[in-house]
Amino acid sequence: MRVRGIRKSFGSIEALRGVDLDLWPGECLGLVGDNAAGKSTFTKILAGTYLPDAGTIELDGKEIAYSGPAEARGYGVEMVYQDLSLCDTIDVAGNLYLGREISKGPFLDKAAMQRGAHEMLRKLEIRIPNTALKVAQLSGGQRQSIAIARSAAFDPNVLILDEPTSALAVAEVEAVLALINRLKAKGVAVVLITHRLQDLFRVCDRIAVMYEGTKVAERAIAETNLEDIVRLIVGEGHR
Amino acid sequence: MTLYTERQSGSRLRDFFESHAHVLSIAVFLIACCALFTSINDVFLSPGNLLNLLRQAAPTLIVAVAMTFVITTGGIDLSVGSIIALVNASAALLLRAGWDWPVVSVLMLMLGAVIGLFQGYFVAYQRIPAFIVTLAGLSAIRGIALVLTGGFSILIPPGLFLSIGRGTLFGIPSPALMGLAVALIGFIVLNFTVYGRHVCAVGANAEAARRVGIPARRVVASVYVWSGVAAALAALVVAARLGSGSSNAAVGTELDVIAAVVLGGTSLMGGRGTIVGTVMGALTISVISNGLILSKIDAFYTQIVTGAIILIAIWVNTRIFDQVGSVRRKS
Ligand SMILES: Nc1ncnc2c1ncn2[C@@H]1O[C@H](COP(=O)(O)OP(=O)(O)O)[C@@H](O)[C@H]1O
Ligand SMILES: [Mg+2]
Repeated sequence: MRVRGIRKSFGSIEALRGVDLDLWPGECLGLVGDNAAGKSTFTKILAGTYLPDAGTIELDGKEIAYSGPAEARGYGVEMVYQDLSLCDTIDVAGNLYLGREISKGPFLDKAAMQRGAHEMLRKLEIRIPNTALKVAQLSGGQRQSIAIARSAAFDPNVLILDEPTSALAVAEVEAVLALINRLKAKGVAVVLITHRLQDLFRVCDRIAVMYEGTKVAERAIAETNLEDIVRLIVGEGHR
Repeated sequence: MTLYTERQSGSRLRDFFESHAHVLSIAVFLIACCALFTSINDVFLSPGNLLNLLRQAAPTLIVAVAMTFVITTGGIDLSVGSIIALVNASAALLLRAGWDWPVVSVLMLMLGAVIGLFQGYFVAYQRIPAFIVTLAGLSAIRGIALVLTGGFSILIPPGLFLSIGRGTLFGIPSPALMGLAVALIGFIVLNFTVYGRHVCAVGANAEAARRVGIPARRVVASVYVWSGVAAALAALVVAARLGSGSSNAAVGTELDVIAAVVLGGTSLMGGRGTIVGTVMGALTISVISNGLILSKIDAFYTQIVTGAIILIAIWVNTRIFDQVGSVRRKS
């Protein structure tokens, strides 16, 4: 995936001022930056949730113009949103299959979805006792796990994780990092946004730093270290 | 030594009660109302009165089922009473002009659909709040009915059409059968189809629904089509029962319908709807008005009592619900 010159404004705020980025299959890119740097906005454009004001997105060398998130999903671009994007009044299985329900004709195949949900969660080592519970009844970490499971379960080509570990316990963070490594091995391009910099050094191959709506630096993991990244985020290293 | 144990999962029965608290409480309330009115006047429980009650509840029930879908998406349709009036008057005009009743019936259902589509377009695609769009509809649509009829009541010539409202099958009034059929269809669609799931998803979190590729705007527009069609069907039932059409039909019906849906436990915040609750809510509204008449309470007081009972019932309902299930508010 190759992205060039993405711009996006919300009213008078220029959220993105021309961002370029390349993603390769089987590679994890860490995306860091101060709050309001534009990380979420940028990744939402990759996932088709926002349409860019300018700029191009190429996938496998072909330029594509999404009309919306459904189309991005069709190209295999999946995203875990910072706000999780779950429906509280629908059960766990229903949320996992939201938008691609298993059906017999017009009817939901609820039994198959419950079975599939169990299978999905088991594979990702997520413990949720009852997939028929409403999402509103779950803890913050469980909700986050469900959002991650939903995005990872349907063989994406590009997986974007926007602060997926902010509410997770130690073991669950480990499970997510292990998941990222498994997906990389399968050839998925992963974008990981996180404030836990030590995690980046465990799964990422490259780190891109954003500052005030621009990409200010890109470093291969081998040629950088924690202090360097911190300096780039707060905006010292490049002046 | 510390033992690590899994938390026990609660009893199935308890879970069942908790997730159906709303419906169970309206059921209890309905039975209590029936018991109260029976103790005041035992005519209440006579088969004749009960069948009459079902016949009267039918139009409200038909519209309330569709309204459940609308409210589940987080919307509201205030125009249903006016749609009933317009369809009711138009049907009477056409029948008086000698049109065949099956043709008129189909045309009227289509009229309801077109009005619903028009309003749904503004709600879903132009992002105007449903309250505003349908409030405008409430005023304008009844206005059209007034213009068409000149404010006069229009007699429907006797014929097969009237059996829609007056006929019986196996001793049960045909409007009641239609109401139950509509409720059954609504129940199946809302709970067991992909479309019903999408209606809930759009109401729970419209942005999330859009992000996973659900055609959120089309789903929102569609529910207003259903409420338009249901209002048209109710209008035909009313016209056939009364044998006339009038622009003054169904004044205030939207309030009965919305009260029935909310009494039944469908959340005004969207995302959670129950057709079983709606059926009981509609029955409760009818039982109250019927029972108050049988109790010989002055008609002028009926509205006050009805309003008070609805407020109390919904208050009790939310109280119980708050204690039992702590459902997170939509952010
Ligand atoms: N929907 C929106 N409407 C208006 N402004 C927005 C919207 N989304 C993001 N912004 C603005 O864009 C900037 C970048 O935000 P965001 O991408 O969420 O940053 P990050 O995820 O890096 O913390 C912020 O200044 C924010 O106020
Ligand atoms: Mg963000």
